[in-house]
Amino acid sequence: MSVALRDVHKAYGRTTALDGIELRVEEGEFFCLLGPSGAGKTTTLKTVAGLERPDSGTVEIDGRDVRDVEPYDRGVAMCFESYALYPHRSVYDNLVSPLRSPRHRLPAAEARERVGAIAELLGISGLLDRSVGQLSNGQRQRVALGRVLVRPARAFLLDEPLSHLDAKLRQQMRAELKAIGAVRRTTTLYVTHDSVEALALGDRIGVIRDGRIVQTGTREEIWYRPYDTEVARAFGRPRINLLPGTVTEAGEFRSVDGAVELPLPVRASAGSEVLVGVRPRDVSLAGDGHRLSGSVYVTEVLGRSVEVTVRIGAQHLSLVVPRSEAAGLRPDEPVRPAVRAENLLVFEADRPGRPGRRIGKST
Amino acid sequence: MKRRLVGRLADAALILYFLFALFPIAWMVLLSLKPADQLFSTYFSFTPTLDSYRTVLGDSEGIPFVRFFVNSLVVSVGAVALSLVVGLPAAYASARWRFRGSENLMFTLLSFRFAPELTVIIPLFVLYQKLGLFDTYVGMVWVLQLVTLPLVVWIMRSYFTDLTPELEQAALLDGYSRKQAFFRVALPLVKPGIAAVSLLAFIFAWNNFVFPLILTSSSAQTVTVGALSFLGGDRPKYNLTAAAALVSVVPPLLLALTIQRYLVRGLSFGAVKS
Repeated sequence: MSVALRDVHKAYGRTTALDGIELRVEEGEFFCLLGPSGAGKTTTLKTVAGLERPDSGTVEIDGRDVRDVEPYDRGVAMCFESYALYPHRSVYDNLVSPLRSPRHRLPAAEARERVGAIAELLGISGLLDRSVGQLSNGQRQRVALGRVLVRPARAFLLDEPLSHLDAKLRQQMRAELKAIGAVRRTTTLYVTHDSVEALALGDRIGVIRDGRIVQTGTREEIWYRPYDTEVARAFGRPRINLLPGTVTEAGEFRSVDGAVELPLPVRASAGSEVLVGVRPRDVSLAGDGHRLSGSVYVTEVLGRSVEVTVRIGAQHLSLVVPRSEAAGLRPDEPVRPAVRAENLLVFEADRPGRPGRRIGKST
Repeated sequence: MKRRLVGRLADAALILYFLFALFPIAWMVLLSLKPADQLFSTYFSFTPTLDSYRTVLGDSEGIPFVRFFVNSLVVSVGAVALSLVVGLPAAYASARWRFRGSENLMFTLLSFRFAPELTVIIPLFVLYQKLGLFDTYVGMVWVLQLVTLPLVVWIMRSYFTDLTPELEQAALLDGYSRKQAFFRVALPLVKPGIAAVSLLAFIFAWNNFVFPLILTSSSAQTVTVGALSFLGGDRPKYNLTAAAALVSVVPPLLLALTIQRYLVRGLSFGAVKS
């Protein structure tokens, strides 16, 4: 099933939650909606589910306007960020609720079988008789996911389902989630504030900010052609380097203090203020490319690689290199990091309330 | 060592306080056990007798106390029941939706509790006389729910507000209707609140004095007014009033003991992430 939102607006009193959302999720696609808290992610999901009514704009499911369609009739299943498990009922009763509800009267025997299969899949068979209050966060999260999967749905709406888990469990569940066949086959709209999760899971990613979708694209598009500095900063750890400076008459980049000069991969008007972005993994100490000269500021081991922060004039440039390359580096030691022009991203300078847009061909 | 001393002192202080707080009740108990001819003895020595209770619950000298007792039960339970039936949906609606005038409506309800009952009692008396509600069960339930309904609505509203709306939204997606989500998901989760507010409302209704004093004469009169009837006549019978008052403490006390376990909040534990 495909889902589309067209120019959807929603306000709660004076607060604007959705400010013209445009979104299209294709049949069978796993779409990640990424944004900070308060960006309108949950409201978007609830609007698709029919739990919130948009002030204007349309929500289409399979090309049909679903304005007056009840939540149940939309055939979607949602996992709430709060899990929203019925605390006064057992795990089994929670899982069977979608199957035995007044609208969906599956015979008891079939329902029991179905719940059993889902519990097996999620490894919670032993918990069925427990009350929800006795479960750990990780177990609750599985039950919540089970309640979503137990009934065949036309689309899954998952609202930060992994956010309350500890790091290890989160990584494990992320892999498991992707491996579940129903999730692979079914249209899924997945909300998260974690860019790593979005990159790992999403066939496509939509970046949402202040109630608007800023950019939609595959992970490659988002990574290599970010819409603006905010999007560029959101993806990748360590964060992208953004160096402020101006465009010279020759069309090259010069940092504010003149210490960094770089050729630009795109044409920008001379004299304009820009930010040049380069990801730490795209800077090397040994490879070829345009050489800069600076000195080691600090090094930090990240497992098999090392993050080296290099001071170049007033700028700090962070780069990630294999451990062998960084061996023996001492603070204040002179180094010559190399940057290739094709790895540079050029942005307009940030202004208050408006991150600088990327200059160059749009996606 | 020092901690234990502080504990002992606190215990002693508490015991003193309880003696002080319970003294009037103890006095009432003694009074109710005194025979009529030793009523005014100031010593605590007297021949204890249950005659007062026998009189109050039996022939009661022309005053139908048992009937007052039944009246009190009927109108208090009636007022609480009516308030729950009307108040629970009202509290839910006001907790979940902001509609035009919703805040004003809530404030109006609350304002019923601002004014002393005496300010409305005269017009009510006239109205009741004209409408034929004077000294009837319906009339008493009607007027007592003015006391209990605001209580139910305001207390239950905060219980519903504490409940995440996502629980009902999950129910909607499961295939429950709004009404079913309210009855099967929201209501069971506020049971402790319902228990607490029912008890409070019952006590308020049961203890109300002014309304039954003015709006009833005999057939719907309640214990609060009825107990005082023993003071009328040629000689005030304090022992009978004391016995009647103590008998009328029993229902709220029993109710409180029965629903005590529901009064502990925390059933909603586990609803959402901790």
